[in-house]
Amino acid sequence: MTKRGRLEIIKDILQIIQNNRGEINITPLLRKTNLSSKQFYKYLEEIKNKNFITEKTLLQNKKILLTIRGNKFLEKYKTIINFIQEFEL
Amino acid sequence: MSPGMMKSIAMQQALNLDILYSFIIILCSLMIYFGTKELYDLSSHRGIKYFRLAFLFFAIAYFFRSFIKFILIYFNIPEIMQLSPKAFGTLTIMAFMYFSIMAIFYLLYSVIWKKINSNKIYIFHITAILMTFVSIFSHSQLIYLLINLLILIIAITTVLIAHKKKRKQNYTYLAYILLSFFWALNILDILIPDFFRNTQLIIYLVSSGIFFIILYRVLRNTGAN
Repeated sequence: MTKRGRLEIIKDILQIIQNNRGEINITPLLRKTNLSSKQFYKYLEEIKNKNFITEKTLLQNKKILLTIRGNKFLEKYKTIINFIQEFEL
Repeated sequence: MSPGMMKSIAMQQALNLDILYSFIIILCSLMIYFGTKELYDLSSHRGIKYFRLAFLFFAIAYFFRSFIKFILIYFNIPEIMQLSPKAFGTLTIMAFMYFSIMAIFYLLYSVIWKKINSNKIYIFHITAILMTFVSIFSHSQLIYLLINLLILIIAITTVLIAHKKKRKQNYTYLAYILLSFFWALNILDILIPDFFRNTQLIIYLVSSGIFFIILYRVLRNTGAN
């Protein structure tokens, strides 16, 4: 199995949230991503800064929600990868 | 018709051709730059960033090449050119050389950045500035040729290193080598005007063709209209 690249990891995280009806608790998300805790929080911070996700806290329960921009990334993921491959960037 | 008048008409035609050529390159470059904006905004991919910057720099370079003359003439402000035609010419050629060398460097860096674990873009800027100053102030045709040859060798080496071990047939590298080659011919055409007296139109056509091919592939892959 080859090592996942940055964009693929971001896509996988967002895909997990999307498959969970657009929102998920942080612990199952961490488990499903197959990333180390350190890596997971690094990527979570990045996708939060890029407004792909938002956080909502309800009764001390932290939920991660997929934003419209996050959905847009998933929509365009294939195009981005094709573009990178086409121009070997 | 007097020989002076004929010369004046020929010069006007050459300027018109130059402006049209610059306009085509600027248009293609800006379409590539803005057509890839969304992909970069979403991905923050460094390769896409350098690729876009390359075409932004091409657009700026060709603006200085001749389009600026069109704007000054069209808006009826030729006084700026007439203040000191030599200084105006030198400054615009310097700007063209610097921005176009940087464009080539960015294009090459976009395919090789993964292999270089550093982000020292300032080295490219310093090299481009040095090359520009040496080219402009040496007044030696041999130095122009050597600098262009050096950039062409850098371009071919970079492309070959980046393409090594890749099995998939891809014509992107060929397009980049041709782009660098015709860019070098463009520089020589400006610095040594008599060098390509009879082949200038062919150089313009082939250069425009390469930009059109890259633009077509960008539009096809981004799904942009």
